[in-house]
Amino acid sequence: MASAVNHLRAETAEELLFDRSFRTRWRLGFDKAIGWVLPLLFLVAIIPILDLVYYIASQALPTFTWTVLTSTNPYDPDALGVPIETTAAIMLFAIALAVLLGLFGGVATAEFLPERAAGWVRMAANMLVGTPSVVLGYFGYFLFVITFGWGLSFIAGSVTLAFFMTPYIFRISDLAYSSIPRPIREAAYGSGARPYQYVLRVGAPIAFPQILNGVFLALAIGVGETAPIVLTTTQSVIFPPTIYSPVTFLTGTIWENFSQPAGSPSLSLAFQAALLLMVVVVALNILVRVISARYQKRLEGLYQ
Amino acid sequence: MSAQNTGGTTQTEQLSTPMKRRSGGMSVGVAVAIAIVLLIVGIAGGYFLGKSTNSSTSSSTINLTETGSSLLYPLFKNYWFPNYTASGVVLSAASTGSGTGQSSAELGLVNIGASDGYLTNASTTNLINFPVAISAQLIYYNLPAPLNAVHLNLNGSILAGIYSGSITTWNNPEILAAQSSTVAGELSAMSAQTIYPVKRSDSSGDTFLFTSLCYMSDAAFPYPVSTSGLSGFTGTNVLTGTGNSGMVSTAQGQVGSIAYIGISYEASAAAAGLEYAAVGNNATIANGTYAAAADDYILPTTTTISNDANLGLTRLDFATYGLAVSLILGGSYAGAVTLVHGGGGSNAAAGVDAYPIVNLEYALIKTLPGGTVVTAAALAATVAFMHWALTYGNYNSAGSASAWINGVNFVPLTPEVIGYDNVELASVSGIS
Amino acid sequence: MNATPTAPRHRAYGATIGRIVPFVPALIPMAILVGIVVELLISSKLTNFGWGFWGSIWDPPSQWGIAVFIAGSFLTALPALFFAMAIGLGIAIASTTYLPGWITRWLDPFVDLLAGIPSIVYGIWGYLLVAPFFGSVINPALYAHIGFIPGFGGLAPRADGLGLPVGVFILTLMALPITTLLIRDALRSVPRDLWEAGLGLGATRWETVRHVAIPYGSRGILSAAFLGFGRAFGETVAIAMVLNVVASYPTNVYGSTGTMAAEMFLSLDSAFGNTQWLAALSEMALVLLAISLAVNIIGRRLVARIVTYEVPGL
Repeated sequence: MASAVNHLRAETAEELLFDRSFRTRWRLGFDKAIGWVLPLLFLVAIIPILDLVYYIASQALPTFTWTVLTSTNPYDPDALGVPIETTAAIMLFAIALAVLLGLFGGVATAEFLPERAAGWVRMAANMLVGTPSVVLGYFGYFLFVITFGWGLSFIAGSVTLAFFMTPYIFRISDLAYSSIPRPIREAAYGSGARPYQYVLRVGAPIAFPQILNGVFLALAIGVGETAPIVLTTTQSVIFPPTIYSPVTFLTGTIWENFSQPAGSPSLSLAFQAALLLMVVVVALNILVRVISARYQKRLEGLYQ
Repeated sequence: MSAQNTGGTTQTEQLSTPMKRRSGGMSVGVAVAIAIVLLIVGIAGGYFLGKSTNSSTSSSTINLTETGSSLLYPLFKNYWFPNYTASGVVLSAASTGSGTGQSSAELGLVNIGASDGYLTNASTTNLINFPVAISAQLIYYNLPAPLNAVHLNLNGSILAGIYSGSITTWNNPEILAAQSSTVAGELSAMSAQTIYPVKRSDSSGDTFLFTSLCYMSDAAFPYPVSTSGLSGFTGTNVLTGTGNSGMVSTAQGQVGSIAYIGISYEASAAAAGLEYAAVGNNATIANGTYAAAADDYILPTTTTISNDANLGLTRLDFATYGLAVSLILGGSYAGAVTLVHGGGGSNAAAGVDAYPIVNLEYALIKTLPGGTVVTAAALAATVAFMHWALTYGNYNSAGSASAWINGVNFVPLTPEVIGYDNVELASVSGIS
Repeated sequence: MNATPTAPRHRAYGATIGRIVPFVPALIPMAILVGIVVELLISSKLTNFGWGFWGSIWDPPSQWGIAVFIAGSFLTALPALFFAMAIGLGIAIASTTYLPGWITRWLDPFVDLLAGIPSIVYGIWGYLLVAPFFGSVINPALYAHIGFIPGFGGLAPRADGLGLPVGVFILTLMALPITTLLIRDALRSVPRDLWEAGLGLGATRWETVRHVAIPYGSRGILSAAFLGFGRAFGETVAIAMVLNVVASYPTNVYGSTGTMAAEMFLSLDSAFGNTQWLAALSEMALVLLAISLAVNIIGRRLVARIVTYEVPGL
């Protein structure tokens, strides 16, 4: 710092204000330069994504007709109708089960568990979220397909996926109920509410948007999962599935067909499935953020 | 104090709640006990849910599932299944490799398992396996012009050398010795191009078939072990592909690669710019020297494949070995080979060209219903389909190969084999 | 206000239904976790493969050494973590310090959206577009120009580009939203007055970030590293598609190896019915689970608040 203006011993304001020493200019210049360079790193994230979207769209759209989405002809090589319907069926069943398990668990943790136990339970939920999906797929395969004897079936895939989505719902409902403002909680209990009354009548309307958010989020994450589904189901061409029948999932369609030679209809099917999947996931994610924003406003309104 | 949502994150402080239920240790203990009880009930329920050989498939459509060999997959998926005429039955195909086909059928996870190789202990798991078609395997390579328009001459010995690593470049003298002089010249004019052998990464009947050829041609090549045959592939530069389609993609992506690909993928391999070899039958090395005569190296055509199949089938001893045979290895798994090789060979009649890599394609089905997939109704439908496949699937009304068999370049089964198949099918319980 | 309200006296104490029942559903995540471990232990039949299990040769159906896959998992995840942290740090700093609010308001959610893209979509893009690009442009360029550095020379890279470079690239893209999110969060949690104090003392923005914000948020940044690593470590499908999974060590930067997750995913099909193979795979699953959970726990401990993130795997 020898060559710099010593800010503690400067004698005039002019000295401070017009500090033209090399070091200071270098520092300011560096700061400015970094201010231009670092935002460019955004491009490192954005350009590959745009390229990905463009590539998938450009490969899928040329052969994309309305019938691709609607045709349920089992032997049409270019039909996504059956995978779409079976994916919807699987997700419906799985999310119902996940909500059943996760919602009650989350509310119980938020409301009724003492803090130490709640800490353990939350850690378990976080650990579950961090489990690689292939391990869950193995669990589903060994337990449901083999031990329970359900075979490679709709129910094996759905239940495995439900277990995958449960911790997300669990965490969100826990968070939703934990973040209900204290005055409201105190008012409810102070008026003589019993716990279940509090949960149902007071807490639910407040927590509902956030939990709904969590459901959409879990759906977005679950529909993009490949490993748990591929390991517990096998290909099928019909809809509706019965409880034990094999099913086709959108990601399973992509997985089956991505290594087909270029130009074959199976490969375009994979791209179309990928495009559809991306659209659905992005739509769900945007929905989640929109609900977040609206919920935020609503909560603030409650506080006035 | 309230929850903050900031673009993707939600965080909250620890809120101490005055009305949290105070619980003693006993409550938690009882809760854990109840949870365990519920868990056991749930597990038992799931277990018995699976055990009930269900009549829950009251829907009118029977869905039969098939999985296994990627060599058979195009025939099933594109030709037989869509054109099967029985109503109320829908068939789904999946391409996962012969090993998976075998084990899935064993475990009762699918109705039909497809495999390029026979399963020897099928009867212990109530399975029968029987041929449904005759296929062939081609050797494809990815070389620059002008070699991508020329059929190289290769034989089992050279292939064994390539995959076990003793032959590493395309201008190796062994390879050159087998070619005609023009082709040999073109090969040696290429600067020493490395050979990249491509193998299957899944448990594959194609691998079994290919290693059978290598085993029969090269004394040092280890005996093929069911459908992996991986222990013989000790060369460096070995690439992998998943399924026959993956083999095409991998070979397409690497110049100098060589891959064994089923004939049902001929169109896509050609579209990928690959070329196939003329394969020498073992007569070319029976004398210990490589013959370079053009007619010792056979191109795969319907005729040459049929010739090899016919020759092989006449030599197989069905009475002793049943249907668990291989056209290359001969009559029994344990290697008590009754022929030098299954088809073609040193006793081939003069003028009969027989393409060596020809194989019986097997389907595996259960003989008894059991479990959620192989129900009695599904088993009956499966057997009905098999009868259809063995008749209409193989032969059209004029008595020649059906259009579907031709579509994948297979050849139909001989009537003799079909007869044996019918005997097998009759052993399925309750079906005639 | 009165003192904290207590439970009404007329309510019975002891183990009433109302006090027990709520606890049961709360145990669900633990039950699932325990169930996974128990099931894997059962299917592995506690087979003792001996010390060879930690050896380097994986050759079903005879040899069961998983060291190759453990090494492969780390070999792919660690470089990806490095790049994801570097880029994530840069983006987070840019977003919190340099860019005006009207830009970050939409740019940040856009980067977060990256996290939502399913891994199989990354995989198909990687396999069909990025890998050939690496194979025809990037790898040969590296090989030709910096091939003298050990590791960058040796065996020529494959023409189809499948291998470590593209694998690390895809994993970086997948870990990036997580690291960015967490580092941004850590930087945003720096109190305003600390920030302004730094600026007030005459430090430039960069210096404030470097000397004030980053040390303050170092726990959060460290947790970003752990959780991003956990994501990259457990990634299955994209790696299975883009890395040419083989059970061997790569000879140079362009080679391929296998990761635990990808090998587990790809070979379950082949292992049907072979109890020994299934046992080996189950034990590999347990190892994978143990490492993932350890990384996760450490990463979460560093963030001492209740946080959830709307990101898969976080």
